[in-house]
Amino acid sequence: MVEILIDEDACVGCGSCVDDCPNDVYKMNEEKWKTEVVNVDDCMACLSCHEICPAQAMTHKNIHVAKRLYIDRRVNHVLERII
Amino acid sequence: MIEDVRGTFKPELIPKESGGNIDDYEDALHVLMKFMGSMSSALEQVSGRGANAIVYQAGKRMGHDAAKMMEKTDNLEQALDEMGEVLGTEFYYEKWKPAGQEGYTIEKGDETVIKLLFMDCVVRQTLRRTGLPQKGPLCYLLYGYMVGAVEEVMSIKGKVDIDHVGPNACLKTLTIKWGGK
Ligand code: SF4
Ligand code: SF4
Repeated sequence: MVEILIDEDACVGCGSCVDDCPNDVYKMNEEKWKTEVVNVDDCMACLSCHEICPAQAMTHKNIHVAKRLYIDRRVNHVLERII
Repeated sequence: MIEDVRGTFKPELIPKESGGNIDDYEDALHVLMKFMGSMSSALEQVSGRGANAIVYQAGKRMGHDAAKMMEKTDNLEQALDEMGEVLGTEFYYEKWKPAGQEGYTIEKGDETVIKLLFMDCVVRQTLRRTGLPQKGPLCYLLYGYMVGAVEEVMSIKGKVDIDHVGPNACLKTLTIKWGGK
């Protein structure tokens, strides 16, 4: 089952993930003004929320990771040595 | 270093192996991805939204051709399995439904609707490789392909709509219209 972790220190409360998610997985916690996960069962791991979040505040665990053919293996190899 | 492969070739000979190593294949894949990406964006620039319609038709024809050899069925589940075989592992998808919905299919008059979650998709990878947005002409090639394949297998009319796209998966709705073409 998918698990979503939100780094509350990183989240700036912009609400972009709430607007972006088509399955209403997130809701703004109006007291803390941070996003919270309210409907993880409907997460389909599209990761469009990752692209839109300016703070890279979320992590999705236990998901199918799509084949990333656009990353050149040689580039990957170099990156692995740098990072 | 480019290796010069030398051999003998006669017109009637079919090489048993294509040769090369995985790096060669990867280079070839990336060149194709770049070509496809620039073709798709040029098509869009020249013909605007008309590009989607052209590419959709091309995909549909490919889908019909690819599914010609598959077994005909009027069972949607079986048709989806066969479509999976036609699309191959590069277009890996699963049926999807919200947790609160009972079954995968919804009946609407003479139509059946089902949501498909595309997890692996070479088109998506190509677009990301070339820095292009999703939902453009290349995506329509795949929609056409799916519709063509399902129409061929089930002898019905079908259509695909995009619900949502993301970097890791895309949700589509497949609608089957019963009652023949
Ligand atoms: S991965 Fe997709 S479905 Fe899941 S929370 Fe993010 S936007 Fe919503
Ligand atoms: S998009 Fe990111 S920063 Fe904005 S509310 Fe969601 S988690 Fe927080």
